[in-house]
Amino acid sequence: MAPSRVILHLDLDAFFCAVEEIKDPGLRGKAFAVGGSPSGRGVVTSCSYPARKMGVRSAMPAAKALQLCPNLILVSRNHRDYGHYSHLVMDRLRSFTDRIEQISIDEAFLDISELGRSPKEVGSQLQRTIREELDLPNSIGIASNKLVAKIATDVGKMAAGGEGPPNAITIVPEGEERAFLAPLPVDMLWGVGPKTKARLEILGIQTIGDLAAYPDIELARKFGKHGYDLARRSKGIDNSPLSTERGVKSVSNERTFPEDLGRKSELLEHIIRLSRQVSGRLRKKNLRGKTIQIKLRWSDFTTLTRQTTLSNSTNEFAVIQEAAAELLDQVWEEGRRVRLIGVGVHNLDTNAHQLGLWDPGAQKDIKLQETLRELREKYGENVISRGLNT
Amino acid sequence: MKISVLQENLAHGLSIVSRAVSPRSTLPVLSNILVATDDGRLRLSATNLEMGITCWIGAKIEEEGSTTVPARTFSDLVSTIPPAKTDISLHEPTQTLNIKCGSLNTDIKCIDAQEFPPMPSPDLEAGIEINVTDFKEMIKQVVFAASHDEARPILTGVLVTVEDNILTLAAADGFRLSVRTAQLSSPAPAPVKAVIPARALSELARISNDGSEVITMALPPERGQVIFRTKDIELTSQLIEGTFPDYQQIIPKEYLTRTILSTESFLKSCKQAEIFAREGSLIAQVNIRPGPEENSPGEVEISGQSEETGSSQAIMDATIEGEDIIIAFNVRYLREVLDVIQTPNVALETSKPTSPGVIRPVGDDNFLHVIMPMHLGS
Repeated sequence: MAPSRVILHLDLDAFFCAVEEIKDPGLRGKAFAVGGSPSGRGVVTSCSYPARKMGVRSAMPAAKALQLCPNLILVSRNHRDYGHYSHLVMDRLRSFTDRIEQISIDEAFLDISELGRSPKEVGSQLQRTIREELDLPNSIGIASNKLVAKIATDVGKMAAGGEGPPNAITIVPEGEERAFLAPLPVDMLWGVGPKTKARLEILGIQTIGDLAAYPDIELARKFGKHGYDLARRSKGIDNSPLSTERGVKSVSNERTFPEDLGRKSELLEHIIRLSRQVSGRLRKKNLRGKTIQIKLRWSDFTTLTRQTTLSNSTNEFAVIQEAAAELLDQVWEEGRRVRLIGVGVHNLDTNAHQLGLWDPGAQKDIKLQETLRELREKYGENVISRGLNT
Repeated sequence: MKISVLQENLAHGLSIVSRAVSPRSTLPVLSNILVATDDGRLRLSATNLEMGITCWIGAKIEEEGSTTVPARTFSDLVSTIPPAKTDISLHEPTQTLNIKCGSLNTDIKCIDAQEFPPMPSPDLEAGIEINVTDFKEMIKQVVFAASHDEARPILTGVLVTVEDNILTLAAADGFRLSVRTAQLSSPAPAPVKAVIPARALSELARISNDGSEVITMALPPERGQVIFRTKDIELTSQLIEGTFPDYQQIIPKEYLTRTILSTESFLKSCKQAEIFAREGSLIAQVNIRPGPEENSPGEVEISGQSEETGSSQAIMDATIEGEDIIIAFNVRYLREVLDVIQTPNVALETSKPTSPGVIRPVGDDNFLHVIMPMHLGS
């Protein structure tokens, strides 16, 4: 039996909007959203609480958001600022404990088991620190594992109501995980997307409690390994450790177009750009990956991903770009229009990789990469890039 | 067909040929073993169309004949009967094989031998004779370096060349290269250059222990096949078509550091490092430090680590000539080559952390192994 843990989940409330409010206090209390464009293209990345009251949600097409909330102010994204504030938050969290797993720009898990203080005390202090020192509202969930802690945060946020950010703290004492989850809708559980939800509904399962009461063996029979995981999660069991070091599992960039694109050559240009960004991010983190993936969303919102695995890991722009372009070739349908394209590299490893006997000029290439890196460090990312013979 | 045979002989023969059976073939007869009387002995043959194995065993033949018997049924049955005389007879019209041994009486449904792919008897006159013990060792020293990646079929084979009286085996998977040469007792009638599937050679090394001293290798012209033959066993394999990459050019001609180590302690250190490195990227870091003065002994540190399990460092004394260097290798590659080196000492020749390393048994010029290092990034 593993010793019991205390895991804290912190989620910044409407993070991008909160940052925009810091930059322009005039936005406070107004219905506004980050992302999209006034012409109604693109999607809402984040929306303020007054906008949420009007039904606006993140990932909603801007056009629909404007329909729901005609006064909606659209603010363009400033990723550099969000990155900056995210860093500040994570630094504050690290001053509490180094047992931290950042899961996205605005979310992190902390293992506070060994702090020797009551979870409530730690949670309140942490929330206050981020709110007062950085002016960023945030919600916290605390439980004996990551799964329940994250759901606790979500539950706290939903229960808050009111005009402003929730600033919720929800604590699930050890032993009460199952009871806490039982009344919640089943799709609040990790691994239950729309498809699984529909299949569960057929079995008469609506709440996490229904799922927990369903025989494990039947779930395993119907859903395989996934069913076994679901059975455990529905009972609030989750032993997954914090990945304190290897936070990054993949690096990807995507782009939603202002207007749907119908020409392959245009998409290839975007693939070049996205591949260059992904390659740059991998190099900066000193990572390489073996699996190259593209994501494509057609104009009717159907989305597909295709991936290919290389024999050796890479972070080179040309290799990523070539693999991504090949994948696009495989799925391309002439006459269809594309709303979004993304390029990602998965299956990441540190920069260590096996050199090949017949790599054409393998050593020359390493030398070149090193020189390029030095140049970029000195003069910036855009100082040099590969020409393309297209 | 009516014969009697000793169970031990039959079981031995079946264990040899059954490795060439293709259990899930679309051709049912390929799941069977050909059983045929052949010049006073009993012949057992199996083939998966890429590789075929035949074994001849002693038998008392009362009536000539042949059929093909389902391999699994036959082997499983024979392994259960006591070591004694076994009477086998075939009822031709129904192709039913009756096996009697002690109280056992079995009928197995067979397929007509006519349907079995023909296995023409080769002309072994023009063959090359090789000492079995030497050849088995040669195979062991190269096959592990062959690739398993079907994307480059040529590298799943072993390049076999014979010129005058020098036989060379070479295999490479793109990251390492193993080359072994041997002298033949008599010059070959004609030069040979062929790529033989590594799997066929591994099988050959496994089965060629029938007490023969020599093995005959024949490559009938225009057949795209190689045939190996000992007293009681014959293995036929399709050759791999294509050009094997020029490996001579990737063998480094010089080095900056030459490190001589005890093979046994080098191997042990690698095994220790692998326990940790196998959880991660299989990296073993080799830190070579010459002694403070010329001719004073130096040391080599081998380390492996993983984020989850921990780390290991082993330090060994070594005779080092040249500069100090830190170089990383795939620890499995190191272990696999050290496993097949027989000499007490081994030399590791290195130049740069990104240049190939060469491993040679000290005092034996017949073997060399090239390994590309791992680049640690920056």
